[in-house]
Amino acid sequence: MTVSDDHASDSETHDERESVDSATHDERESVDSATHDERESVDPVTLEVVRNAFEAVAEEMNADLVRTAYSPNITERRDCSTALFDADGEMIAQAETMPVHLGAMPFSVAAAVEAFPRSQLQPGDSILLNDPFRGGAHLPDLTLVTPIFDAAGDELLAFAANRAHHADVGGATAGSVGAASTEIYEEGLRVPPVKLEIGHGRGDSDQKGVSTAVDSELNEDVLSILLANVRTPAERRGDLRAQTAANATGRRRFHDLLADHGETVPAAMDAVKDYSERRMRSALAELPDGRYEFTDELESDGRGNGPLPISVAVEIDDTDVRVDFAGTADQTAGPVNAVRAVTVSATYYAVRCVTDPEIPPNHGCYRPVEVDTPSGSLVDPEPPAAVVGGNLETSQRVTDAVFGALAAADPEAVPAAGQGTMNNVTFGGTDPRVRSTGNDESSAVAAGGTQYAFYETEAGGFGAHSAGDGNDGVHVHMSNTLNTPAEVLETAYPLRVERYELRPDTGGAGEFRGGLGLRRDIRVREHTSRFSLLAERHSRRPYGLAGGEPGATGGAYLVDDEGEPVEALDAKETRDLPPGSVVSVRTPGGGGFGDPEDRDTGRVVRDLRLGKLSVARARVVYGIDPDDVVAQLTDESAEES
Amino acid sequence: MERDATAQASNTRVGADVGGTFTDLVTISDGRLRVDKTPSTPANPAEGVVDGVEASRVPPDSVAFFGHGTTVATNAVLEGEWADTALLTTAGFRDALEIGRQTRPDIYDFRAEKPEPVVPRDRRHEVPERLDERGSVVRELDEAAVRALGQDLAADDVESVAVSLLFAFENPTHERRVRDLLREEGVEVPISLSSTVLPEIREYERTLATALNAGLRPVVDSYVRELADRLESHGVTAPLRIVGSNGGLMAADAARERPVETLLSGPAAGVRGASYVAARAGTTDVAPRADTTDAAARADTTDAAAQAGTTNIAAQADTTHADETGGYADLLTMDMGGTSCDVSLVRDGEPLVSTETEVGEYPVAVPAVDVHTVGAGGGSIAHVDDGGALRVGPASAGADPGPVCYGRGGTEPTVTDAHLLLGRIDPDAFVADALDADATAVRAAFEPLADDLGVSVREAAAGVLDVANANTERALRVVSVERGHDPREFALVAYGGAGPLHATALAERLDVPEVVVPRAAGVLSALGLLVTDVTYDYAASMVRPWAEVTTGTLAETFAEFEREARSDLGDGAEIQFERSVDLRYAGQSFELRVSVPNPATAELDAAGASTPEETTQFHETADEQFHETADEQFHGTVAERFHEQHRTRYGHAEPDEPLELVTVRLRARRVVEPPPLAVEDRDGDPDAAVKTTRGVVFDGRERETRVYERETLPTESSLDGPAVIEGAESTTVVHPGQRARVDSNANLIVEIGGGE
Repeated sequence: MTVSDDHASDSETHDERESVDSATHDERESVDSATHDERESVDPVTLEVVRNAFEAVAEEMNADLVRTAYSPNITERRDCSTALFDADGEMIAQAETMPVHLGAMPFSVAAAVEAFPRSQLQPGDSILLNDPFRGGAHLPDLTLVTPIFDAAGDELLAFAANRAHHADVGGATAGSVGAASTEIYEEGLRVPPVKLEIGHGRGDSDQKGVSTAVDSELNEDVLSILLANVRTPAERRGDLRAQTAANATGRRRFHDLLADHGETVPAAMDAVKDYSERRMRSALAELPDGRYEFTDELESDGRGNGPLPISVAVEIDDTDVRVDFAGTADQTAGPVNAVRAVTVSATYYAVRCVTDPEIPPNHGCYRPVEVDTPSGSLVDPEPPAAVVGGNLETSQRVTDAVFGALAAADPEAVPAAGQGTMNNVTFGGTDPRVRSTGNDESSAVAAGGTQYAFYETEAGGFGAHSAGDGNDGVHVHMSNTLNTPAEVLETAYPLRVERYELRPDTGGAGEFRGGLGLRRDIRVREHTSRFSLLAERHSRRPYGLAGGEPGATGGAYLVDDEGEPVEALDAKETRDLPPGSVVSVRTPGGGGFGDPEDRDTGRVVRDLRLGKLSVARARVVYGIDPDDVVAQLTDESAEES
Repeated sequence: MERDATAQASNTRVGADVGGTFTDLVTISDGRLRVDKTPSTPANPAEGVVDGVEASRVPPDSVAFFGHGTTVATNAVLEGEWADTALLTTAGFRDALEIGRQTRPDIYDFRAEKPEPVVPRDRRHEVPERLDERGSVVRELDEAAVRALGQDLAADDVESVAVSLLFAFENPTHERRVRDLLREEGVEVPISLSSTVLPEIREYERTLATALNAGLRPVVDSYVRELADRLESHGVTAPLRIVGSNGGLMAADAARERPVETLLSGPAAGVRGASYVAARAGTTDVAPRADTTDAAARADTTDAAAQAGTTNIAAQADTTHADETGGYADLLTMDMGGTSCDVSLVRDGEPLVSTETEVGEYPVAVPAVDVHTVGAGGGSIAHVDDGGALRVGPASAGADPGPVCYGRGGTEPTVTDAHLLLGRIDPDAFVADALDADATAVRAAFEPLADDLGVSVREAAAGVLDVANANTERALRVVSVERGHDPREFALVAYGGAGPLHATALAERLDVPEVVVPRAAGVLSALGLLVTDVTYDYAASMVRPWAEVTTGTLAETFAEFEREARSDLGDGAEIQFERSVDLRYAGQSFELRVSVPNPATAELDAAGASTPEETTQFHETADEQFHETADEQFHGTVAERFHEQHRTRYGHAEPDEPLELVTVRLRARRVVEPPPLAVEDRDGDPDAAVKTTRGVVFDGRERETRVYERETLPTESSLDGPAVIEGAESTTVVHPGQRARVDSNANLIVEIGGGE
């Protein structure tokens, strides 16, 4: 993705966006140039050896980031990703964490390079950004890009990059995942590519002549602007420090690799991409050629607009896949616009899933895939669109749409729709509990407590597929973050988890049923909390495949002490909750696969025994007679004992 | 003391390790080491152990010590064969065990299924009660509801019960009351409480450990009983001890109650054996490499998340064994067998302990020796995938049919076959028990692979080894570099049948300066059983600002642990205590383990570099002012250690930021007298040990290479690579530029840059 001077533009936002697009266009052209490169070819052994090493670097970066960060969203939930890129900004290796981050990070590297051409970069620099219209995805995701030079500090060889979701970046809503914004200006602090670390050229060398201690200092000016605009500055500072540490690890380990493999490294970076591309193409060749269309919808943008169709045409031509989003809704007022980086990432993910999961994930996986997005649409908006939910919710619907189209090519190659939402839950306010933490936030203790912003996402049902039921209570597609343990959550925040359980009967019926959604009830303790929910599939069910029924919708309620609903909440809602309020978030189930009549009775009986399926529903959807069921249950338990 | 008394009366010590194929028995009598291998009896492993005892011809009544490593718990988990278990949780959290951490197993593989919950949903029950984050009661325990549940469970046919209530690690009262109520209602099966099994924050991990413990109790209980009975009827009166995942020995009764602590029993014993041998390896005779000061200084900067109570261990280890130590205390270990390779790291003689072990698909948060497993072994099969890369493993030819060169019908090219093609193992005398190696068949197996790669058979074989080494190297990096340790400071100890074939090449790649191939490389696990102290770990979560924690509070907690330990280990025994705390910067959620001085004697020894043996009692005699000063000093010392460790591991520290205490830990250790590893010195010329010469391929070139017989190499002799050293248990490859020598204990030491 060489960004040449032709593409360097004046700072007009529109042009900037264009140049990112051009860069991705160049990516496609680079297929030929890379494979017919003059660099010496890499033998199959070196390929496997160095690929292992690249992946180990990305994983070590991730381990460092998770372990040194401050916020539970990163340390417990691992809402972060790390990757290595080559000098052209093409991804070489990633730690497998957050799918939505992974396909979008190349846009960050491209934007960083565009803002700081080679002449303005030196060893020790790191570039921070979150601007969705300049390499970012949505504002809470802060991405740090660190160029890596050779030992002499002359040649730019690679980039280490990581992305972490910060629990608050300012804006109108604590947690910065508000459901009501209409412009990006309401969503938090917008950071264009800026240097967070300023390098001082090459550092010391170790005995092998490898530059190890790269000398750099933190750009306190940038940091102070950032910290002044967020609700929880100490936490942000800690998380940012973890991000710089992770990239420093990436840089150090890359230098180790250079010391071990020397000249081979650049050629090996090309080779791992070519390798993945070959495996992708060999898998894609098995899909029938043709043009397949599908439309799914977002229910609403939270501002009264909707449903919003996402239309896609997937054209498979031998080993090439072209995905065109023509016909998708125009960009909308509410915060569900997905910038192109997010749409591309979601598309890459879906195509990746229909190939061999073992293919090493890198840029080569994406070469066969071309993505066209209409400018000014829901999947490629112009500034100043509000975009926070695009990364979280619309990305999920994009995968649903692409899977839907691929299902027309081969239904067995894809799963039915999963819950199709991340159920983003945010609480923010002032913790009334007195804690003597002694950090700079604790000066607020005297004034009655510390500011907090808590963010998490809730799992749901995965779609069934031709080989089995969908998983119950997992994150689907573009997310794979962990939950916050109730014990950690309650220790850190003035909230209490009252209930965390699977929702019976929510998986779409089928020969294989969809996974179950879940229910999580959270109580606000002794203070008023600003609550925000950004969710989907409260009215439109996740589709089934091959005769399978759709999964159940999700919902959200204020509930009483017994857990009974008192008031229904919108899927996209921001409001203040008085002390003692209990919010109950119910997440959707996955779609079923195949005709429910073909479901193995043993599976029905098992679900009945486990209380995942009610007798009433068993009768309706599977035509199971209750008496038979009782007999079966008795037989089964007799068998077991 | 018991140890001394028994040592005089009868001095035979027995270690029995049950592996997949063989049960290894190591006996030490009068300083002589004897090894017996008998076939394992998977249907009833106790049988194989007793067979081994018989084979060893040890008079049963002379056995003073019997240590055992078992895979019974591990296999039960891997095969899902645990007991029918019921789980009681706080109301609203019945499904927490099943939801887990809400992630899916693989981000791109939508067919991958989550592991089955250890307790199925219909046996998970809710208990109305609730505690808050400080352990205060938010909702009283509904005793009537518990009684009703108890009646159901008593009538039911569950074989074990687990109780895991929220915040029970802060306050175990509700869990204990539930247990008592269940007993009153007639529940007679074992009951496991989360506040006992793993009293630490994070409900999923704690509940899972408790459920696994409950599920394993009937399984391990019946096995241990049977073994103890059989040994007793065979005439062995020494108490049966079982090595725990943390590398310490447990009394048989403890293993029956806390079987989840035996999940890594075998590998832990192996690492113990490796560190024991390495500590005595490489020296010409005495001259300890690390003196007490050195070890203590290093301990202060050591990453203690990796290990408990660094300072005490180092100091004590040196005082205990100073006369015979020397050798290597910082080790990477690799145990490579037929299908996989276990790697781990030992620092200052103590194995790294992790709370993030995975057994099967289950994350087990119980402290265990940090063993990382990778699917690379002698039987690993090589193939070229559809993208043109050479891959090795995880598919393995195993022991049956095994590699092509075993001549048992294997047809796919394996790592062992690659060694054979390169001349590194002897085609004729491959393994003593007459496995018919067939070089032609091996070549034939490699030809398609070579064609796919477009290279010669020999080059293909070299490639297979390179890839197998890359896989293993990555695992070694996980346990070292990823944990903040520089491999250049470690020696690599290689064991298992295939370990010594690979270790010398791996050492080059990792810049490890020396490789140790122990004499007893094939039975290190069994040997490890004989050198393991009996240890118990005690822990309690206490999440609060570090600044608010007084030495008095800590001293009380430790004192309670010490009382428990004395009762668990037996009064009158010589017990060493290692105290540590898990700390983090307030706001972080991962902790580092920091060894702490004894807070009860903090005023006497505020610097706390080492804590003397526990005879001092805690007396609240000092005046307030003095206490404050002691508190401050104590906080300061511990905080400094934390910052230093954080810097070592993560490259930065924030001395101005407040710390938070998370967990208080005590490890109690009853010291076992380690056996000597006497070997008779052998004089002579190493040339006399040359059996033959043959062509061996190094760096693509075949070189006429000397092949030595390990058993006849003279003591203290050395030889330069290239060379192959064949032993009864394994073959060691000495690459060009490397130098091997035989130490006084008959270990092989390969110096990576040491040759001519």
